[in-house]
Amino acid sequence: MTQPTIGELLLQNGVSRRAFLKYCTAMATLMALPAGMGRALAAQAAAARRLAVVYLSFQECTGCAESLLRAYSPSIENLLFNVISLDYQHTLMAAAGHQAEGALAQTMKENFGQYLVIVDGAIPAADGGVYGTSGGKSYLDTMREVSKGAAAIISLGTCAAFGGIPMAKPNPTGAVPVSDVISDKPIVNVSGCPPVPEVITGTLFQFVAMGKLPELDALGRPKTFFGNTIHDRCYRRPFYDEGKFAKTFDDEGARNGWCLYELGCKGPTTYNACATVKWNGGTSWPVESGHGCIGCSEPNFWDKGSFYAPLSSAAFGRAGNVSPRDAARLVGAAAVVGGAIGLGAAAVSRQRQTRLAGAPLDPQKKED
Amino acid sequence: MTVRLADIRVTFDHGYGLAAGVNAVLSEVIQGLERLAAGGEPRTIDLRSLPLNPVERERLRALLGDGEVDVTLDLEGVSRVRETGAAGVWWIEHRDAGGELIAEMLEIARVPDILNTDPEDLGRSAGALRDRIRAAQSAATPENAP
Repeated sequence: MTQPTIGELLLQNGVSRRAFLKYCTAMATLMALPAGMGRALAAQAAAARRLAVVYLSFQECTGCAESLLRAYSPSIENLLFNVISLDYQHTLMAAAGHQAEGALAQTMKENFGQYLVIVDGAIPAADGGVYGTSGGKSYLDTMREVSKGAAAIISLGTCAAFGGIPMAKPNPTGAVPVSDVISDKPIVNVSGCPPVPEVITGTLFQFVAMGKLPELDALGRPKTFFGNTIHDRCYRRPFYDEGKFAKTFDDEGARNGWCLYELGCKGPTTYNACATVKWNGGTSWPVESGHGCIGCSEPNFWDKGSFYAPLSSAAFGRAGNVSPRDAARLVGAAAVVGGAIGLGAAAVSRQRQTRLAGAPLDPQKKED
Repeated sequence: MTVRLADIRVTFDHGYGLAAGVNAVLSEVIQGLERLAAGGEPRTIDLRSLPLNPVERERLRALLGDGEVDVTLDLEGVSRVRETGAAGVWWIEHRDAGGELIAEMLEIARVPDILNTDPEDLGRSAGALRDRIRAAQSAATPENAP
């Protein structure tokens, strides 16, 4: 039997077309689509069918799932009932043991070639993958098996996308990102520790409504949400341009909401949507709360040095406070250093992907 | 010395740099109005994607002022559509069922899109109304009288 479209499902559930237009308008603004796209998006989404989703949890802290559960737009219940069919997720599903694994096998069979796999967490690859197992299978084997019938994979969170904290030094389990294990499927990296909830649901909605994967940046992230740096979209940016910086977390500059660059903010080199989408339903975000960005959506963020050292400190050979005399010089250097770090990270990632694409996985040869 | 939370003074700097965001939005609004008046397409400015702080937002709100129309919609959560003091500039807030703000935008249009009747609903409306009339007539026949 053919599944009903999302539009048909909504009408059956008593949701009016105007309410759906409102929902899609909110999604369009979230996805930074051109003005007036709400109606077009509504038409596309209404004609689409629910997407079967398999959610695999590997080396992770469940923070990404927690983030997803706190999505406001679209809310998780709206997403689950109307947009996707979440057929397998360890933490949320009522089934357990053989029943749960049976549900996974069934959806893989019934939706072969069409289902979406969301991966949460890095994959321990050392020693044949023995450091992470579930249901008698290693995460490594599960990843390879489940990906065979996948239409695409979403690497959810910095651990799945770039290795994250499990891959941080000394990386005893040989943790690797999904892209190091799977090379024959399209992969979308939705990074962040955790990712912004609406970035997760927005990416899913975009895939369902438009029937294709979003345009990606050099690190495989949707440009819609990762197209700008935190710094570019920060409401404190005018202070950076004026050379007004907080020097400590309780000085006059901090109280006046000045730029947190000198307190270690990684906004200039971090691509994410925190500054615009914000957190907790748009309530606030780290910089608005008075703390600099820690760059959690970028590769190797955990191993890049202190969260409280200015980005420019490496270039100037110091990690402490900056004298007022040097402030102007540092401000000028920041853009150059920031750009260099960003390009460097992208280049390293591309090199790694290129190197691994044609070679069998060998965790012993990883940098870590 | 113990410092109480209430003793920590937190302010928003009103420096000239902060006005830049408001000026940018207003420039876009004026362009949109001129284009609409010349027969062009409506335009939407997403306020949530702009790095405006609360002071700038209030300044923008005060500059645009209040107009004559204020509509509240109940669409799986409340939406409020207000025409500002600038005719053709609408301040729109969409909230979800929990009351959380999910979209906030300025729409430059004669009538905001969300207020228009959906074409498919319109296409079915006459038939649906006929059905309701038939049902009402049927309920009012002598055999159905109490």
